[in-house]
Amino acid sequence: MKEKDMSINALLSQYGDKYLSALLTTYELTALAFIFAVIIGIIITVMRISPIKPLRVAADFYVQVFRNIPGAALLILLVYALPYLNIVLSYYICVLIALTLIPSAFCSEYLMAGMNTISPGQIEAARSLGMTFMQMVKNVVLPQAVRSTVLQMTNLLVATMLTSALASQVPLNPTDLTGIVSYINTHAVGGVTAFMISAVLYCVTAVVIGQLGNYIDRKVRILR
Amino acid sequence: MSTANVSIRDILYEAPGPKTRRYIAVATVISLIALTALLVVIVRQFYITGQLSAKYWSIFTRYTTWRFLGRGLAGTVKVALMSSVVTFAAGLLLMLGRISRSRILRGLSTVLIEITRGIPTLLFIYFFFLLAPQFGLKLPAFWKIVLPVSISAAGVVAEVLRSGVNAVPKGQTEAAVSLGMRSGSVFFKIVFPQGFRYVIPALIAEIVIVLKDTTFAYVVNYADLMQNAKVLISNYDALLSVYLVAAVIYIIINYLLNKLSVAIAGRRKVSAVTVK
Amino acid sequence: MAQEQNKPDALQQVPVIELRHIDKYFGTHHVLKDISLTVNQGEVVVIIGPSGSGKSTLCRTINRLETVDSGEIIIAGDVMPEEGKELARLRSEIGMVFQSFNLFAHKSIIDNVTIAPRDVLHRPKKEAYEEGMQLLKRVGVDNQAHKVPAQLSGGQQQRVAIARALAMHPKAILFDEPTSALDPEMIGEVLDVMTELAKEGMTMVIVTHEMNFARRVADRIIFMDGGIILEENTPEEFFTAPKTQRARDFLNSLKDRER
Repeated sequence: MKEKDMSINALLSQYGDKYLSALLTTYELTALAFIFAVIIGIIITVMRISPIKPLRVAADFYVQVFRNIPGAALLILLVYALPYLNIVLSYYICVLIALTLIPSAFCSEYLMAGMNTISPGQIEAARSLGMTFMQMVKNVVLPQAVRSTVLQMTNLLVATMLTSALASQVPLNPTDLTGIVSYINTHAVGGVTAFMISAVLYCVTAVVIGQLGNYIDRKVRILR
Repeated sequence: MSTANVSIRDILYEAPGPKTRRYIAVATVISLIALTALLVVIVRQFYITGQLSAKYWSIFTRYTTWRFLGRGLAGTVKVALMSSVVTFAAGLLLMLGRISRSRILRGLSTVLIEITRGIPTLLFIYFFFLLAPQFGLKLPAFWKIVLPVSISAAGVVAEVLRSGVNAVPKGQTEAAVSLGMRSGSVFFKIVFPQGFRYVIPALIAEIVIVLKDTTFAYVVNYADLMQNAKVLISNYDALLSVYLVAAVIYIIINYLLNKLSVAIAGRRKVSAVTVK
Repeated sequence: MAQEQNKPDALQQVPVIELRHIDKYFGTHHVLKDISLTVNQGEVVVIIGPSGSGKSTLCRTINRLETVDSGEIIIAGDVMPEEGKELARLRSEIGMVFQSFNLFAHKSIIDNVTIAPRDVLHRPKKEAYEEGMQLLKRVGVDNQAHKVPAQLSGGQQQRVAIARALAMHPKAILFDEPTSALDPEMIGEVLDVMTELAKEGMTMVIVTHEMNFARRVADRIIFMDGGIILEENTPEEFFTAPKTQRARDFLNSLKDRER
């Protein structure tokens, strides 16, 4: 095995640049998708709690579809099926859309759960103090919903990063951290070392995000 | 007045007055029109690109089509079930290590849990698909998908099980110890069964994740639902309709699993309240 | 009653809360049947009755936390509308203290007291803070001002809730079973604060099961059963010689329980 496997140094000197851009691709996809997912998740959540029935039903449907569809199935639909409808998107955009839609559904679920932690009595108290609907949302509902979803949101960020490995399933240049492992393995014999480098980069990022989330959560957690 | 199980949807708004009712009525009509327009645009796009043509959809009137997809689905279910079993076993071991008295075991389990939770399933798949053969490890396609999917879910399951065990009241252990039970049997006969029951909904939700991950079976050429859909497509030249149907099948199965999880969680809550 | 003498008679004739022919249904259940009630300035009205009599619902109806099916609610001469800014404004003039305190879980004690004066009444931050601290001192929890609600005992939380209501300078305060969720040893501290308020001439509507307290502070007792006001009386007469048979039964059932 040893002679087939490249050392870290040899591997990095040959593929170092590629690794860096792969890492950046993964980070970029994760960050962009997460931001879009949160924005869409908020919009979907507003629709779900609106008093307008068709919006509720449509947003509920959206959430059920995208929290239950496998990432690979969604990506395949976007890449291979959409062109049959005369919609041709670049591979990168397809990955980004898949990476946004799925987490956006989960984001909305977490926000709904976060809002459900607020006791109905606090809403009544806000009303009895003369707060208008918007004042109540601003002072009571939103801050509590956001603060009680810190852990889920950091989990969602990690999950988005893990899902971004979908990028390896389409030809991307530069490819991502998972794609580069299969790239190196088909072009050379990077073997275990290539796998290990990607694994460590993923893992370290996940742990750092997790710790950061725990830290923020401890700071803002609401005692009940 | 019981306020239990009241959703935020029901309490956020007050009963609407006449002005609000008018506003809601107008908004309802507008949103209905907008959503219908969206639907029309989508259907129209299917129509003008010829995707509504009978040749793409008539295959679904044939028994053989469904039998073939059914076989693929059986493959998916086989992988998902075996993965769930392996995941549970691995998760249980990791959890036991995580709560063991040995510091080394605890540290090792913690690291393993973080690793499985921090690495994408696809990377594990490539490990078993591309790397394991280099070590001379020749696995059948079934295990090439089962093992990575299981490993990648094991850490989460370990943490879920641990949270369940932690939720069992301390008094249970104390009572069992005071009856003279040994610590091993206290854990396996008293604590774990209760903790396990707490987390059944979370474990079902984890099966959904496992099931989604099985769609990567095409990477290792295992005949699952996705793979059989692909074969259908090459036989009938009906890509969009077949993939769409396959996606809907996944969505429905996962939706039902999630429903089951929520239903069990809901029943638990009720019984927990009455016990208290 | 002692505190009654402190109140000039002329003031008692200014109505703060007027309910006119209020009807309310929960589904087919008629919970409030043609209720009319006037509460004058400085008056302490205690509503009592068996559980399910509609007394809590009536209390919550006054600031429209419960919808009504017909009838009018008038706050200091202004008709309370069903919705909108005017509803919010009139609510801000009526304080409310709940059975389960309902403090904002994510805000510190002082922020709980100052948030509405700042956001609803647009009072300067510093001014609201200073007054908030004074109110907390008045109810005896100023040393807890920077904790969050969950760190306080139930009795302390309920006193904060009273301070929160007072911070809005309300024309009246509604108390919806304010001691029912409290451990017995904490009931006294909350009732003491309420007694003080009554002495100072605050207009109060109180739903409670604390009969001794009711007898002590009330200017008027309202006895409800089956969604109607069966008896309106002075506390002295109500507790010694109730006019209706049902009030007699109710008071006897309480005595039985005490024994």
